[in-house]
Amino acid sequence: MDDRLSKEEVLHVAELARIAISESELEKYQIQLKQIMDSVDKIKEVEVNDEKMLIANWSEPTKLREDTAGEMLNPKEVIGNAPRHSGNYIEVPVVIGEES
Amino acid sequence: MKYLNKSVLELHELLKDKKIKPIDLVEEAFANIEENKELNAYITLNKEEAIKQAKELENKEVDNVLFGMPIAIKDNIVTKDLLTTCASHMLENFTPIYDATVIEKIKSKNMIIIGKTNMDEFAMGSTSRTSYFGSPLNPWNKERISGGSSGGSAVTIAARDLPFALGSDTGGSIRQPSSYCGIVGMKPTYGRVSRYGLIAFASSMDQIGPMTKNVYENALLLNAIVGKDNKDLTSANKEAEDFTRLIGKDIKDMKIAVPKYFMSDIVSNEVKLKIEETINLLKNAGAVVDYVDMKYLDQAVTLYQVIALGEASSNLARFDGIRYGFSAENPENIKDVYFKTRQEGFGTEVKRRIMVGAHILSGENAKVYYDKAMSVRAAMRDEFKRIYKDYDLIIGPTATTTAYAQTESLDDPLKSFLDDVLVNPANMAGLPGLNVPVGFDNSNMPIGMHIIGNDFDEARMYQLASYIEKELNLDLTPGGEK
Repeated sequence: MDDRLSKEEVLHVAELARIAISESELEKYQIQLKQIMDSVDKIKEVEVNDEKMLIANWSEPTKLREDTAGEMLNPKEVIGNAPRHSGNYIEVPVVIGEES
Repeated sequence: MKYLNKSVLELHELLKDKKIKPIDLVEEAFANIEENKELNAYITLNKEEAIKQAKELENKEVDNVLFGMPIAIKDNIVTKDLLTTCASHMLENFTPIYDATVIEKIKSKNMIIIGKTNMDEFAMGSTSRTSYFGSPLNPWNKERISGGSSGGSAVTIAARDLPFALGSDTGGSIRQPSSYCGIVGMKPTYGRVSRYGLIAFASSMDQIGPMTKNVYENALLLNAIVGKDNKDLTSANKEAEDFTRLIGKDIKDMKIAVPKYFMSDIVSNEVKLKIEETINLLKNAGAVVDYVDMKYLDQAVTLYQVIALGEASSNLARFDGIRYGFSAENPENIKDVYFKTRQEGFGTEVKRRIMVGAHILSGENAKVYYDKAMSVRAAMRDEFKRIYKDYDLIIGPTATTTAYAQTESLDDPLKSFLDDVLVNPANMAGLPGLNVPVGFDNSNMPIGMHIIGNDFDEARMYQLASYIEKELNLDLTPGGEK
């Protein structure tokens, strides 16, 4: 079994995770991600008698709260937390017209 | 005059009798923190606001036992107008615009927030060394780690800076540093405490809990933070109860199980010996203690990795460089905003975990890994429930060793998971877990016992922990009582 992922494999998961990776980081992650993934892979061998799944320890029926108007956050404060903003708008680079 | 070495009940009496004022406690807490500055327990201090609040309290009636008490908050719990960084470059300058539900609750008791404590970045780690702001140091020996991820909270309590702290626990992050630093730490039952305003790591396991120097004060703080919250639909609809009510009660005939795996050769001899001594103490008190077989505990690390990393990759998708937090300079396009912001904003441990999580959840892998993990998780919880048919509580060591050296390498990506092998089953099963100190190793580093309770059985855990605390009567102040 290889002790590292291929460069392409690392770049693929980095793309999924929306994280840019430098050439120098790439080599480190080839080894480290492989170590974690080998550990994660062991889940396949665990035997269970039941297909029953537990998403969280949560037994109460899901109940939504009443749909009533309540307090809301101040939009000015919310927008104010954005790293780039102008008036009531959050600024982002041009999206329309870009090639996908 | 020093007051904070007194018990909270004594302080409460002094406050009620107007012999001291909240400002005395607040000033003393800041003086202690200043004296212990090199421990690096804090990321942000709330000095101005805390002093202002303490002065305002002078004209108010001392109406509850937590009134005027200083408290430290882990820096992944949002506090209105007070920097909340998650120990990450990503949130280095993030000032929340609302309070977490637990913060509203402690403020309603007129507790005073002293500062925000150091931690592993986004609570990912077992040593607090992944913090963007440097590691906290263990007050018992500054060359050793504090444990993590709630390392700063554990350190400030152990160093006796102040009486109360909040931590969070996704896979052991309250209990393991509590063990390494010799304090009491409780991870409540999943749903017991609202997660609203706790910056999410793995939503199906995250819980906020109290960290204190003794059992009674831990229960007092838990009393204040529990309850149903409409802002967290996984918070449980439970009647209010007094978690101190069984403290001091006899433990005769209590039935306790010790899973054999918890005492297997993954645990160091010194730790094992101390736990065995404590077990004998319980037997002598008339408790029934049996060693039991439990399946799936040896799969805990693998299972935890699938659940925690999968959920983390989804939760941390919100850090996009657009809505709040750090954003990379001069992006060429929208993709650049995401990719560069996350490259520069997150540290190595966080990036590793997000990438593996993204892999686990992508396409067919979601079935192979995540669905399978949910089945193993159900089976693990069934195992716990099987034990609780015959036993009241489950015990074992909290950590396999005592706190190790700061210099130990951070490059092994599996080490931080292995450190939590004994504590993360409780998170996956949603059960409450508590650390209580039971002694020291040959280097005078604290050893902790882990008590796992049935769902919502925290009061009984405190009962057992208080018995152990009283019988052992350890001096848990680093360097001896002052």
